[in-house]
Amino acid sequence: MAATDETPEAGFADPTGDPMLRTRFALPSRPAMFVRRPRLTEHLDQALGTPLTMVNGSAGAGKTLLVADWASGLRQPVAWLTAESTDQAPGVFWAHVLQALRAAGVPVASEVGSPAEASRVDRRTLTRLAADLEGRDTSTLVVLDEFDRVVSREIAEQLEFVLHHAGRGLRLILVTRTEPLLPLHRYRASGEMTEIRDAELAFTPDEAHELLTRHGLHLSTSAVQALVERTRGWAAGLRLCALAARQGTDPHAYLKQFEADHSAVADFLLAEVLDRQAPDTQDLLLRISVLERCCPDLVNVLTQRTDAEPILAALQRENAFVHYLGHSWYSLHPLFAEILRAHLRERFPGLEPELRSRAAQWLRRSGALPEALAQGAAADDWEFTARAVVDDLALGQLFTGLRSDDLTALFERMGPDVRGPAPDLVRAARELAGRDVEHGLAHLHRAEEELARDGATDPAAAGLTCALLEALAARLTGTPGRAERAAEQALALRPEVPGHLLDEHPELNALLLTHLGSARLWAGRFEDARTVLSAVAGRPGGAAMALPRWEALGHLALIDYLNGWLGRAEHKALAAAGQAQRYSLPQRSGAGLGTLVRAAVLIDRDELDEAQALLDEVAASHLLGEDPVEEAGRVLTRGRLLLARGDARAALAAADAIVPAVVSSPWAQDHAAALASAAYLAQGQPEPARKVVERVADRRAACTVQAARARLAAGHPAEALEMLHSLPETDRPGPAVTVRATLVRAQAAHELGDHTAAHRLLGRALLDGRREQLRLPFLEAGPWIRPLLSTGRLRELAGGWLVPGPGHGPPAPTEQPQPPALVVEELSARERDVLRRLAEMRSTEEIAADLHVSVNTVKTHLKSIYRKLAVSRRGDAVRRARDARIL
Amino acid sequence: MRYEIRIAGQMSETLAKVFPELDHVVVSGQTLLYGPVVDDAHLYGLLTRFQSLGLRVVEMRQLPE
Repeated sequence: MAATDETPEAGFADPTGDPMLRTRFALPSRPAMFVRRPRLTEHLDQALGTPLTMVNGSAGAGKTLLVADWASGLRQPVAWLTAESTDQAPGVFWAHVLQALRAAGVPVASEVGSPAEASRVDRRTLTRLAADLEGRDTSTLVVLDEFDRVVSREIAEQLEFVLHHAGRGLRLILVTRTEPLLPLHRYRASGEMTEIRDAELAFTPDEAHELLTRHGLHLSTSAVQALVERTRGWAAGLRLCALAARQGTDPHAYLKQFEADHSAVADFLLAEVLDRQAPDTQDLLLRISVLERCCPDLVNVLTQRTDAEPILAALQRENAFVHYLGHSWYSLHPLFAEILRAHLRERFPGLEPELRSRAAQWLRRSGALPEALAQGAAADDWEFTARAVVDDLALGQLFTGLRSDDLTALFERMGPDVRGPAPDLVRAARELAGRDVEHGLAHLHRAEEELARDGATDPAAAGLTCALLEALAARLTGTPGRAERAAEQALALRPEVPGHLLDEHPELNALLLTHLGSARLWAGRFEDARTVLSAVAGRPGGAAMALPRWEALGHLALIDYLNGWLGRAEHKALAAAGQAQRYSLPQRSGAGLGTLVRAAVLIDRDELDEAQALLDEVAASHLLGEDPVEEAGRVLTRGRLLLARGDARAALAAADAIVPAVVSSPWAQDHAAALASAAYLAQGQPEPARKVVERVADRRAACTVQAARARLAAGHPAEALEMLHSLPETDRPGPAVTVRATLVRAQAAHELGDHTAAHRLLGRALLDGRREQLRLPFLEAGPWIRPLLSTGRLRELAGGWLVPGPGHGPPAPTEQPQPPALVVEELSARERDVLRRLAEMRSTEEIAADLHVSVNTVKTHLKSIYRKLAVSRRGDAVRRARDARIL
Repeated sequence: MRYEIRIAGQMSETLAKVFPELDHVVVSGQTLLYGPVVDDAHLYGLLTRFQSLGLRVVEMRQLPE
């Protein structure tokens, strides 16, 4: 299998690539008429000495430009993020914060990971982010502009956590219209906060004088004073005022009139300034009010003229309404956009949806799909919006990645009357994502029928999307044949779809292959399943690929486990857990197969409390109806744990539980039979134990061995030996099966009086079992084994892991059956420091004291080391590090 | 719930249309907006809309039914 975590950078969206996104990480530029106000920048300098700074003021108070201007004069890099309403979801918010740090040239270490689920960020990602910032020589400045758009209490709590743990490493500046939900009183009380509020942001008469002068207005002190009083020093009011006055014939008279007027300031002034623009400019301003950001080409589409470029440039020069974002992109000041939209609706009733539709089509043509979808939805143009998702092969993103929640929410408003194949495909995807297979399939079938008639939707893209949904439905219902047909359909259609779309959306194929692999696994075709799942697990790619990769690893772990290869299974399951941490998975599905496999491995090692804890974790996160593979894995693992704890009756009930599926699974049945047989044996009933498993004994080695155990228990050692003579050749069983087989042979030899052979066989079982710490089979074998283990060479082989006392202990590295440890991420220098001390058997506290860091920091390093080495214990970490020659 | 919200300054008819659910009347250099408010979420939404339009809320009170 390829390394699974090898491309930390490849997947992150390049913040310099997408112009739309790039504008959110750029320090806003200051217009030519910007007035620098030293009293405010001096106050802001204190932000370098306090963890938290809040610049809090009304819309148009000049907050953003103040902070941008101050930050641009600093020597240290500044990570800037302009929040948007989609940043409500913690996963999206933190992914953008991490991108802002990268865009500012101060990226965090790759071990921090990055969320790949919209609604979730792993606490460990935040812990590592804080540790990374804390460990730097200089503090990192992070500005979150328009933070009022982030109203999530969860995010406020997470910011507070990172701020607290990053210590001097982080200086956070929130620019906002409303009080954030952080515990400001605490920061205030301890003097750890710099605060600039509305009153301080208000222009003084001197500052207003300078501003007006820059706009070409030379007023007397008393006139300026009056104006400041009328506008209450509000920056936007002063600016509009200057523009309105300058455009009239007699500025002084105009201002006098304004002072005496009682209108709401922005409302009145904006209307005035708008009215004084040339008709073409007015028309343009009204139309672009529906856009978040715009460029000349897009604006021309809305105005159906060709003069956008000079008009936008002139507006920007005059500091009227628009900001320049760089690379030919502009944005309206949010305050003005809001008021302009009110004017648009009045002057051109009904035009807004049409403008949004046109914008959506332009955005889609230029590759800005998220923005196109937002506009299409705002225009209620659902046919376009659904078709854009399907034709761009983007429907897979409804299931995985940062956009999934967003897309799901976007289509929530689509009414039932919208018809067509694309809307029905979207409906099918939403239902299937919510695990409502029945309704999902109904929509899917209707879409397929409509596709046969419909010409507008791209048949190849829609066909691929159908194949994905078919494969998912097949996986959820346990219908392997259907999954195979879907995969064949996809294979046939791929050449007809533009290659760049396939490259942009690797998740579509990865999801399809994962569903196919899962269905094949259910059908018991382990090698075929492994082929497709390995391809997905080794595929690089970021957020949207994280979920399929993680699922594929979990399935691969299960295959190894079912074949009896515990070490390999555990290794893959831990790699899956590493993925889950790194990408803040999972949300949509349960804790996943990987966790189940880890629990199952622990049961075979007789570490029952740890196994119980993992199973509880699975049960707690079991949110949705899952596929039968996971369901069967859950039932069987629980049954095995019950049996290992001595509750044979409950284990029997678990073995009897029926996992709903269209096609029954051979291995699920066989393993259930083996479990039932073992439970009967534990109850002292060899006859039912034999009966239940013998019908499947020739199907797989694990069942043959169990059947032999039952014969042995019934007092027929020779028959047991006979059964084991030829194990089914269908699979290559691993130690969990072969050790049990050897133990049955040993017991049979013992009962037949061949003590030399019993000794020899038990010795072999111990040797093989020791490598995997496989304790349970020896404990299950019965009382005959105990006297043998108490003396001589067998005692030596069992010592240290199976029975107390000295022995060979853990096997030497050369005996490791696993391939050389797959170290997928380099350890940092600090982590190597910790690891070296770990190898010297020092305690966490001793390591902390030695390295002059806190105990918590050492624990953070330890967790990171475990994850990178894919282990869960200290001893294993040291061993694996030695294998990989890190130590 | 019915609310009355007092805004600083006279609002134009254009801007008043942003709040179609409320009636409005201009009194001595201020604008009174009044009408039904569905729930708290609606109330906070209204406040956000006033703020994003640069309007200053001077007073806000619940009216007796």
